[in-house]
Amino acid sequence: MEITQMGIAGTMESSDIMIRLEPKETEGIELNLSSSVMQQFGKQITRVIMDTLKELDVDKVTVTAVDKGALDCTVRARVSTAVHRAANDSNYRWRTKG
Amino acid sequence: MNFELYAAAAVDPLRLQQYNELLLASGLRNEGDTDYTVLAYRGERLLACGSLKGNVLKQIAVGKEAEGEGVCASVVSALITEAFMRGSSHLFLFTKPQHQNLFSSLSFYPIIKTDSVLMMENQRHGLSNFLKQVPRFEGSNGCVVCHCNPMTNGHLHLIRYAAQNCEHLYVFVVSEDRALFPYKDRLKLVCSCTQDIENITVMGSGAYIISEATFPTYFIKDTADITKVWAELDILLFTQKIAPALGITKRFVGEEPYCAVTRQYNARMKELLPKSSLELVEIPRLDGISATKVRALIESGRMSEIERLVPQPVYDYCKDNFS
Repeated sequence: MEITQMGIAGTMESSDIMIRLEPKETEGIELNLSSSVMQQFGKQITRVIMDTLKELDVDKVTVTAVDKGALDCTVRARVSTAVHRAANDSNYRWRTKG
Repeated sequence: MNFELYAAAAVDPLRLQQYNELLLASGLRNEGDTDYTVLAYRGERLLACGSLKGNVLKQIAVGKEAEGEGVCASVVSALITEAFMRGSSHLFLFTKPQHQNLFSSLSFYPIIKTDSVLMMENQRHGLSNFLKQVPRFEGSNGCVVCHCNPMTNGHLHLIRYAAQNCEHLYVFVVSEDRALFPYKDRLKLVCSCTQDIENITVMGSGAYIISEATFPTYFIKDTADITKVWAELDILLFTQKIAPALGITKRFVGEEPYCAVTRQYNARMKELLPKSSLELVEIPRLDGISATKVRALIESGRMSEIERLVPQPVYDYCKDNFS
């Protein structure tokens, strides 16, 4: 999906993550992550964000993520929602398994 | 999470009193100039509040009994989401210096602080990115910050004088769009009136010089002591961060006999600039010329009388747009 506008999802409440997406001029994904559990789970959160973006075919975006200890499923859901908003696309391809 | 959020563009009168009381209890007050407000309730009890004005989060307070419950994170999240939906991604907030850690954990970064106010933004390198866009010149440079609403012969006189008395002159035109003359037109007119001056860079003041963010009361013309706090913050940002980065050693202003806020701002600069080895150069105003007067003449339809007060391009613009 192509990121054409700003998109935001999630909150900075405990156990959640706030994802902000902004259009980027050049190729690639720029990720700025801050997390209350950076030491323990920084790499894992980064991987989930990158994987989710890849699944949605997003390859040109600036991502700002503020994590407050979200589980992987929450991270995926927030990223996916932010992408759909930032791509102005409401065709949600709901996954039933995996 | 044991509370509910209520959000509205304008707070209804029943809730307004509670909101004002909570602000007062936190040493803040309702400045009455907001676009959007979020209130967090437990039953009838108001636990926390926060408002949005343009790209500034303001009047954020949490009641004593609700501290440590994460209610502030909910309120700030809701405000950020709303700001984004409205198209503002670069956000600012002001708080007391002792609350720096709380807002750092909500992904705000400190820009500058005085004894009583801390200014933060939600971009890690916001200020340095702004400064990176400004062209650099060796030597000791000058600076004029003006609203130019619209540009008058007085402004032009100040800019010419300043350009002659420094190596390179930066003219920052206040880019907040709250004036009779829209920002892009004000900027264009300043550029066209000064194109014969060689050692000059004219650009918008952005978010960091006399903006809604750095100096809210410049636009709402508030009470004296509040204005003093904001003036100090704006001046500190200039002396500590902006002037050193751009090699600015002198700031030029015109005498201000009319507007109390500007006069106070200039007086504070006169005190504070020398402390950072900067000089404030105040030059006498050209007799009887002010942008306020020009606007009054336009409003009362006396277009011919402004011709002697403003440069030709401004006069032409006024004729095209207001007669």
